[in-house]
Amino acid sequence: MELFDLTQTALERALEGAALRQRILSSNIANANTPGFRRLDVDFHGALASALERDSSPSELRELTFSAEPDASGPTRADGSNVDIEREMAALAENSLEYQGIISVMRARLRMLEAAITGRA
Amino acid sequence: MFDALRISASGMAAERLRMDVIAENLSNASTTQGANGLPYQRKEVVLREATPQGAESGLGGVEVAAIVPDPSPPRRVYDPGHPDADTQGYVLLPNVSPIVEMVDLITASRAYEANVTAMNAAKQMFLRSFDILR
Repeated sequence: MELFDLTQTALERALEGAALRQRILSSNIANANTPGFRRLDVDFHGALASALERDSSPSELRELTFSAEPDASGPTRADGSNVDIEREMAALAENSLEYQGIISVMRARLRMLEAAITGRA
Repeated sequence: MFDALRISASGMAAERLRMDVIAENLSNASTTQGANGLPYQRKEVVLREATPQGAESGLGGVEVAAIVPDPSPPRRVYDPGHPDADTQGYVLLPNVSPIVEMVDLITASRAYEANVTAMNAAKQMFLRSFDILR
């Protein structure tokens, strides 16, 4: 396991994607009552998955951009907004847990490296 | 990185302003002598998406565009004993319906709670990311 290998880069980019998704979901929730607002979302899972499937190198993974896309699925209310507060809250909870999961994996890797470097488990 | 907190704070501020306006409408529901001598006119809050300076579009949060008077006409109620009754005994009362205001109040307060939850979730995530180095 190298210090800055593919796994480490993928974890870092996933963390960035989750942080961006957090901002986007917060924006959707803040605009829950704004007339005409279209909810946004970012599919960082899909972008990372296809990049890894293509056998990208760590530098290629670093070049990957995540962009917020308008999401037209779901019903539109009479005031023109398609923000469904239940969906946003569920996505928020899921995103928080994913972020914490990625952090845990990063910590575990660091522990392993530490054990290898210091010779103490 | 702390944009998520700022965005949720803008949501909370907007919903709080809505609650203030609803409180004003409710307290003036029977005011026959408003600022210009006419019955009180119900106020509404118009929200719009805030565009941040320099950040990615769509991630500015929300802002209050304006507080506008509701143009619907006042209610005419027959009450000849009222001091402001006209010659036929009708009084013009404000166009405030307590039912509509209460529904708006519930919506605003649930939206406020949702923004608080989003802010707490973001705060937890940031605190956890400091744990990487612990």
